[in-house]
Amino acid sequence: MSDGLGSMTLLAVALPVDSFNVVVLMATYVLVALGLHYSFGLLGIVNLAHGEFLLLGAYTVVAVQQATGSVVLGLVLAPVVAGLVGLVVERVVLRGLHERVLDTLLATFGVSVVVRQGLQVLFTANPQQVNDPIGGSVRLAGLNIPWWRAVVVASTIAAVVATALTIRRTSLGLRWRATVRNPELAETLGIVTTRSRAALFGVGSGLAGLTGALLAPLNTLTPQFGTRFLVPAFLVVILGVPGSLGGLVVSGMVLGGALGIMQFQMSSITAQMLVIVLAIVGIRFRDRLVGNWRGRTPRRQRARTADTHP
Amino acid sequence: MTAALELEAVSAGYGRITVVRDVFLEAPMGQITCLLGRNGAGKTTLLRAIMGLLPRTGTVRVAGQDTRGWPGSRVNHAGVAWVPQEDGVIPGLTIAEHFTIASRFTSGVPADEILDWFPVLGERMHQVAHTLSGGERKMLGIAVAMTTRPRLVLLDEPTEGVAPVVVAKLVEVIRAISQQAAVLLVEQNLDTAIATAQRAYVLEQGTVVETGDIQALHASGVLEARLAV
Repeated sequence: MSDGLGSMTLLAVALPVDSFNVVVLMATYVLVALGLHYSFGLLGIVNLAHGEFLLLGAYTVVAVQQATGSVVLGLVLAPVVAGLVGLVVERVVLRGLHERVLDTLLATFGVSVVVRQGLQVLFTANPQQVNDPIGGSVRLAGLNIPWWRAVVVASTIAAVVATALTIRRTSLGLRWRATVRNPELAETLGIVTTRSRAALFGVGSGLAGLTGALLAPLNTLTPQFGTRFLVPAFLVVILGVPGSLGGLVVSGMVLGGALGIMQFQMSSITAQMLVIVLAIVGIRFRDRLVGNWRGRTPRRQRARTADTHP
Repeated sequence: MTAALELEAVSAGYGRITVVRDVFLEAPMGQITCLLGRNGAGKTTLLRAIMGLLPRTGTVRVAGQDTRGWPGSRVNHAGVAWVPQEDGVIPGLTIAEHFTIASRFTSGVPADEILDWFPVLGERMHQVAHTLSGGERKMLGIAVAMTTRPRLVLLDEPTEGVAPVVVAKLVEVIRAISQQAAVLLVEQNLDTAIATAQRAYVLEQGTVVETGDIQALHASGVLEARLAV
């Protein structure tokens, strides 16, 4: 609990309060949870290495900036690097462990330690800075909007829309949904489910890497950078119902928005504590308040089925 | 007659528990071969082993190809369709999406042709499959399996828990399927099995104890004795 509180405090401190901060925090909460939507929400892997995939993305930007001076190139490469590492982790560590919750938990914890320590060896524990690739801000509707934060918000919207369209509207997404919901039947209908699972984990890792890269210019980076996002990401996914993208967006906006608003009224540490309480209460009473929308049969279909089969 | 499926000394099970032992079996093209046995005899386990869903020993040949080590997807690509006893649909996917998946990996029979068998499905293409009734789910499972244009169809108790009028329809469709493929049918209802199949294998405690022409086995009373009907 204290870890979670500390993590959320760091997350909030990383994004200084201003009028636009509420929106940025809402987007950040959604974005840090989006990669976890793939590995935990869809695949059911309790992915304790999620924060380290963010870290990989952030340090990819650091490395590219140091080598070439280009932050933008780092931003492009970050999801690729994190995604490829995710594919390797899925193939070498996780394949064959799905449905073994405790084993995946231990395995991903091990991955997180290896990645964190590996980056510490490569980059030392000294804080690293990533330059803001745009800089400056714009006044809009009386709000002071830093350009890079606007990019973070826009990227979050784009990532959510791309995820929704891929999963709901493409044949790739159809294969993913089939793999997640009935793997045995999906396999016998010709879907190579091992490939689908690897792709899901790889895309989730890549999205985490992109998240780390986008947040890098707003933070001072150390090898502990990723850990601070782990608890908020899990809270958002669990509150939103694992596997539900719509739920994730709503819960991310609720928790991030609540944090942003409360930070105006009280100390940051109290706001963090209340957000965690809000998440726990929300998880406890979620189904009673809004229904378990994943398992709920639409009213129209329920009526049609009942008519035909009394 | 060409055997679409040949089993030689096949044993399979779950973990260290062997459920099916040393099974020899053939399913010829153009015929319905029935697997009979009491609950727990190993019928479903045998189908899952054929489909590559369980570890096994022995040889499984599909159209002459040894499928040792093949995952279910590769067995499917070789022309085998499986209609499971339960969980025969994918929750959250519409009927249309089931056909899309099935037809994507083969040349695919047009869904309209398949739906002539089950017009009720055609009227609800955008309905989520898990909201269908039990009988409709069985119909969907068979229709989707046939969309892959299989040479061998494994049907696991397709008539279980289905209304009599639907059973008659399913039997009619299974006969039609056998015109273009080999069918290996697991059936608990002996009357339905006798009315549908040409050959029978009777399993007891995982081993084949009787095999032959189903009418002859029925006439001699062997089936009734083995199944304690």
